[in-house]
Amino acid sequence: MRFGGLTAVDQVSVDFYAGELVGIIGPNGAGKTTFFNTISGVLRPTSGRLLLAGKNLTGQRPHRYAQQGLARTFQTPRVFTDISVLSNIEFGLKFAGRRRKRYWFWGDETSVPWALRDAGGILSLIGLAQVAQLPAAAITPSQQRLLEIGMALATRPKMLLLDEVAAGLTEGELEEMARLITRLRDELDLVVVWIEHAVGTLLRYVDRVIVLHQGQKIADGKPIDIIHDRVVIEAYLGDEVLELGQDLR
Amino acid sequence: MTDRQTLLRDLIVLLGLIGWALVLPHYGSEFAVSMALTCLMYVALSSSWGLFCGSTRYLSLATSAFFGIGAYTTAIGLGQLAWIEVITLGSAVAALLAIVMGAAVLHLRGTYFAVLTFGMAELIRHAISYFEKSVSGTVGRVLTVVPEMNVLYMTVLSIAVVALVLSILIRRTRFGLALLGIGADEQRAQTLGVNTPLIKVLGFAITAAVAGAVGAAMAVRWTYIDPHTAFNPFIGFQTVLIALIGGATTLWGPLIAAIVFSVLAETLRLQAPQIYMMSLGLLLILSVLYLPGGLASMRWETFRDWYRAAKAWLKERRYELSGDKERDKQRARRRRSV
Amino acid sequence: MSFSAWLELLASGLITGGIYALVALGLNLQYGLMRILNIAHGEFLMLGAYLTWVAVTQWGLPAPLMLPVSFGVLMLLGFVIHWFCFRRLSVTSPNLDIFEARGLMLAFGLMFLVQNYASWMWGGELRGYDFLAEPVVIGTSQFAGNKLLIFTLALAFSLGLIAMLRMTLLGKAVRALMQSPVGAQLVGINTRRLHPIMFGIGMGLSGLAGCLLSMAYTISPAMGEPYTVTALIVITLGGFGSMTGALFGGLFLGVIEAIGMHFTNPSLKALLSYAVFIAILLLRPKGLFKG
Repeated sequence: MRFGGLTAVDQVSVDFYAGELVGIIGPNGAGKTTFFNTISGVLRPTSGRLLLAGKNLTGQRPHRYAQQGLARTFQTPRVFTDISVLSNIEFGLKFAGRRRKRYWFWGDETSVPWALRDAGGILSLIGLAQVAQLPAAAITPSQQRLLEIGMALATRPKMLLLDEVAAGLTEGELEEMARLITRLRDELDLVVVWIEHAVGTLLRYVDRVIVLHQGQKIADGKPIDIIHDRVVIEAYLGDEVLELGQDLR
Repeated sequence: MTDRQTLLRDLIVLLGLIGWALVLPHYGSEFAVSMALTCLMYVALSSSWGLFCGSTRYLSLATSAFFGIGAYTTAIGLGQLAWIEVITLGSAVAALLAIVMGAAVLHLRGTYFAVLTFGMAELIRHAISYFEKSVSGTVGRVLTVVPEMNVLYMTVLSIAVVALVLSILIRRTRFGLALLGIGADEQRAQTLGVNTPLIKVLGFAITAAVAGAVGAAMAVRWTYIDPHTAFNPFIGFQTVLIALIGGATTLWGPLIAAIVFSVLAETLRLQAPQIYMMSLGLLLILSVLYLPGGLASMRWETFRDWYRAAKAWLKERRYELSGDKERDKQRARRRRSV
Repeated sequence: MSFSAWLELLASGLITGGIYALVALGLNLQYGLMRILNIAHGEFLMLGAYLTWVAVTQWGLPAPLMLPVSFGVLMLLGFVIHWFCFRRLSVTSPNLDIFEARGLMLAFGLMFLVQNYASWMWGGELRGYDFLAEPVVIGTSQFAGNKLLIFTLALAFSLGLIAMLRMTLLGKAVRALMQSPVGAQLVGINTRRLHPIMFGIGMGLSGLAGCLLSMAYTISPAMGEPYTVTALIVITLGGFGSMTGALFGGLFLGVIEAIGMHFTNPSLKALLSYAVFIAILLLRPKGLFKG
C-alpha cells in the first residue's frame, strides 16, 4: 500500500483461518493501522488482492466489506453519540447484520449465532446491558470501546478486526477484555484479528502472532516461537520479553 | 410516545392541515390564497430539503437549480404536453440533474459541498441564460396556455402533501436511518453496511424531484419567465433558511417556519422588503447561535435554560464589576506566594 | 492585436486581479486560521465602499483619507462580530465539522442582514463619485488614473500582509495557529485574542478593497456578492490557507477573465468563472498552487 512516495505496507501477505485469534504487533509506524484500513476497505490498496471466503473484495467500498462479513472497530471509539446505546447496536443489525428470515418476512433469522440474535443479546455479551437506554455520549470511554465491539458484532461478521481496543485500560480491564475477545472467538466461531501494544497480554491469549516492522511482515507464527525469534527481538520486543516464555502455553 | 402513536399523531396533523388548506380558497381573499400558495411552495421545498440535507448534514444550495429546471420544463413543454405530464417531466429532469450532480459532487463534505452546489446552480443559470440568448434567441419565455389558479393551488398542495408524507414515512424506514447515520458519522455508517454513495444520490434526487415539481408548477404564476427569475438563487437561500430556522432534522419544523415566513414575507413585502430579508438574516444568526436545532426543537426546557444562562451571565458581570473578582484574584495570589 | 492593446488587456486583467487578490487574502485569513468560511465577505467590501462614498459626497473628505478609516471601521466591526457570534459558536459546537457548517450558516445570515441593510439605508440605485478619472499615458497605452492607483495600492497592501505574516512575530503566530491550533496554544499563543484580531483584519482588508473600488467604479448594495464568489474561486485556485496562492490566484483569475471577456462573449464571463471553479474543486480540491 503506497501513499505517494511512502510504502506503508510492503508486500504483506497473510492468510486467516476460521476460528483463530490472531494478534498483530509491531512498533509505531509499522503500518498496522494502514494494514487494517486496507483490508477493511477504508483505503484502496495500490497493489495486491483481498479475498474473503473466496470472494474477491479488492477495491470495493467499505459497505461491501461489511456486508460480506468483515467488521472492524476504530482506534478511538466512533459511536453515534446522539442516540442510545441500544440504538447504536441496532444500527448495525439493520444494515450489514440483516439476514434472511426463515419464512421470508417472519420467523427467526437464518444462520445467526444465538448470542447475536438481537440487540439485547449482544449487549449482554459485551456486558453493557445495564446502560442500554443511555445516550452513547454519556457512557465512559472504556464502555464506549465495548460498544464499538458490540456495533461491529451487530453486523454478524465472519471476521472481526480489533484496532487497539485495549489502549488505556488498566491491568484488570485488560484481562477482562482479553477474555471477552477469546470468548467471542469461541462462541461465535469468528476470526478475530487484534492489533495491540499491550504485547504481554496479547501474547498470552492469541493462537498466532504476526509482527510488522516498517511496513513488512517479519514474523508469523505461534507466540512461543515469536518471542524467541532473533529478528523480532531486535526490532521490537527486546530481551526482557523472554521472561514471558514461562507464561505461554 | 411509541412509534405507532407518533405516526398516528403525524398523520392526523397532516390531515388537519390538508383540510384547512382545501377550505381556504373558498373562504379566503385572493391575497390569502396567494400567500397560502407561496407558503405551500416553501413547505414542499424546505421539507424535502430538510429530509436529505438535515439528516446527512450535506448543505445543498442547489435548490434553485432544480426549481428553475422545473420551471423551464413547463415553459418549453406546456403547449404540447398536458399539465400533469409537464409537472412529472419537470420533476424527472430535476431528479436526473441531481443524480448527475450528486455522482460528481457528493463525495465532498461540508463547506466544499455547499459552495460547490451553489457554484453549480449559478453555472446552470448562466449556461441557460447564454443558451437562450445565443441559440433560442430569446431572453425569456412567455407562457400562453395557463391553467386556472384553482388547478395551480391544488397541484402545489398535492406536491407539498407528497413531500410531507415522504418525510413522515422515510424517517421510519431503514433509508431514513441510513441518512441519519451518514450525517452522524459517514465512515462509521459505511463500515456498518450502509451503501453511502447510493443513499446520498437517492436522497439528493428526491429533494430535486420535489423542487423540480414545485418549480414546474409555480412557473405558471409568473406568465413570463427568464433565467433570472426561474433560477433566482434567493429561492434556494430562502429554502435553506426556512429549513434551518425551523429545524432541519425535524418533521414539522420546516412547515412551521414556512408558515411564519410566508406571513412575514407577505405583510412586509410591500412596505419594506429589505426589512423582511434583514429579519430573515437576523433570525438565522440568532437561531444558529442560540437554537441550533431550530424552532421545532424548542421545549419548555429551552426557555428555562435560556433564563438560567441569562441569570448566570448577569451574576458573572456583577461579580466582575463590583470588584469582587479582582479581590479574589489578589487573595489567591497571596495565598500561593505564601 | 497590437502590443499596446495586449498590454492594456493584461493590465486591466491585473487591475481587477489585484482587487480579487486583496479580497481573497482577507477571506483566506479567516478560513485558514479559524475555519470560518465568511460568505458575507463581499458585503463588508460593499460597506467599505458605501462608507467611502458617504464620506466623499456628503462630508467632502478626500477619498485617500478613507483608506485607513474604512480599514479601521471594518476591522472593528469584524472584531465585534467575531466576539459576539463566532466565539459563541466555537464554544457550543461539538466538533469542527459542525462548527464549519454553523459558521457558514451564520455568515449566510450576515450576508442577508448586511446586504439588505445597505439596500434599505441607501437605496438600490447605482452610486458613485469621481476621483482621478483622467487617463494616464504610459508608453503607447492609456490607463485610467484611478484604476492604476487601485492596482498599486491593492498590490502594496497584499504584499504588505504577506510580509507581515512572514516576518513579524504576530505573523509567525498566525501561521503557527493555522498549522496546529492546539500546538500553538501549548507554546503560549493567545488564541482568544488572536482570533478576533485576525478576523477583524480580514474584514478590514475587504473594507479597504471596497474603498479602493469605490474610487473607480459605481457601487450598489448587491456589488458584494460577485466578489465573494470570485474570492472563493481564488482561494480554491490558490489552495485554502495559502496566502501567496491567494495573491497569485487572484491576479491569474483577473487576467483570465479579461482575456476571456475580450475574445468571447462578455456574458460568458460568469459562466467561465464558475466552470473553472467547479473544475478545480472536483479535480484538484487542494488548489492549483499547493502540492
